[in-house]
Amino acid sequence: RRQTGAALNSDNRPSGAVATTSRKALAGLRRIDLDGLRWRVFDAKGQVLGRLASQISTVLQGKDKPTYTPNRDDGDMCVVLNAKDIGITGRKLTDKYYRWHTGYVGHLKERSLKDQMSKDPTEVIRKAVLRMLPRNKLRDDRDRKLRIFTSDEHPFGDKPLEPYIMPPRQVREMRPRARRALIRAQKKAEQQGVTTTKNGKKEEEKVELSA
Amino acid sequence: MTRVKRGYIARRRRKNSLTRNITQQKIRALVSAHRDRDRQKSDFRRLWITRINAVIPEKEVYYNYSKFIHDLYKRHLLLNHKILAQIAILNRNYIYMIYNEIIKNEDSKEYLEMI
Repeated sequence: RRQTGAALNSDNRPSGAVATTSRKALAGLRRIDLDGLRWRVFDAKGQVLGRLASQISTVLQGKDKPTYTPNRDDGDMCVVLNAKDIGITGRKLTDKYYRWHTGYVGHLKERSLKDQMSKDPTEVIRKAVLRMLPRNKLRDDRDRKLRIFTSDEHPFGDKPLEPYIMPPRQVREMRPRARRALIRAQKKAEQQGVTTTKNGKKEEEKVELSA
Repeated sequence: MTRVKRGYIARRRRKNSLTRNITQQKIRALVSAHRDRDRQKSDFRRLWITRINAVIPEKEVYYNYSKFIHDLYKRHLLLNHKILAQIAILNRNYIYMIYNEIIKNEDSKEYLEMI
C-alpha cells in the first residue's frame, strides 16, 4: 500500500516521471545497515532554511539519542518534504550566492538562491545541512541518510514514518526602522482601501467589464 | 653519480622501509599513553554531557543540559555526569523524575524568597 498516486510497474517499481526521482531516492538504501533506525519526516513548508537545517543535522547525527557515540553513525533517516516551500528571510533570495571554483584559473562560478531554487530546490536544503555536519569520515554516510523531496510525494510510504515536531520559534521583534516601514505600508493600504470604497461603484463596474 | 647527488631528500626516498626504530616507537607509545590518560577524563566527560543533553529537552521546550545542571547544583544534588549519562541510557524515566523533583522545589523556593 503506497500513499502516493505514483504509477507502478508490474513488479511494484515506480515508472514514468516519478521513476527518476524515486530511483535516486531509493538509491543507497542497501548500503545503510541497522534498520533499528527511525524514519523522521520533516515538513519544510514555511520553515526557515537554516533553523530547519540545524534541527535536521542534530537528528542526522543521532544527537537526540542518549546512545550517541562519536565514532559510530547512529542517526535516524531524515525525509524532508516540500523543499520548494522553504522560507527565506531577508534579501537572501536575490543576494545569497552559492559559489564554487572549477579549478581553472579565473573560473569562479556563482549562482543565486533564486536560480538554485528554480533549478533544484532540494540542493538548497542539502547544502545547508551538509555544511552543518562535522567534517569527518561519517559525513558521507550521514548524507546518504538524508532524503529530500520537492513536494509532498515520496516513495517511502510503506516505512514506519514519524513526523518531527519543530520546537517553537522565538521570532525576534522587528527592528524600529522596519516596523515603522511596515506601519506606513499598512496605513497606505488602509487609505487606499478607504478611497476605493468611495469610488467603489466605478471600480466594480470596471472590473466586471474586464472580466 | 646521479644516485649520490640531490642531497638528503633523495637519500630518504631510497629507504623504503620503516624509518623509525623500536626504541623511538616505544617512547612515542608511552608518551601518548600518558597524555591520553589525562585526555580520557575530559573525553568521557564530553561524551556524558552530549548524552545527557540528548535526553533533557524532551519534557519542556527551551530546557537543555546547562539549565538542568544549574538546577541540580542549586539543589545541591551531587550526582556526577557519569551516573547521569548511565541513567539517561538505561532508565530514561528517572531523569524525568529528577527533573520533576527539581522543578517542584524550585517553585517553593522562589515563593519563600518572595516572602
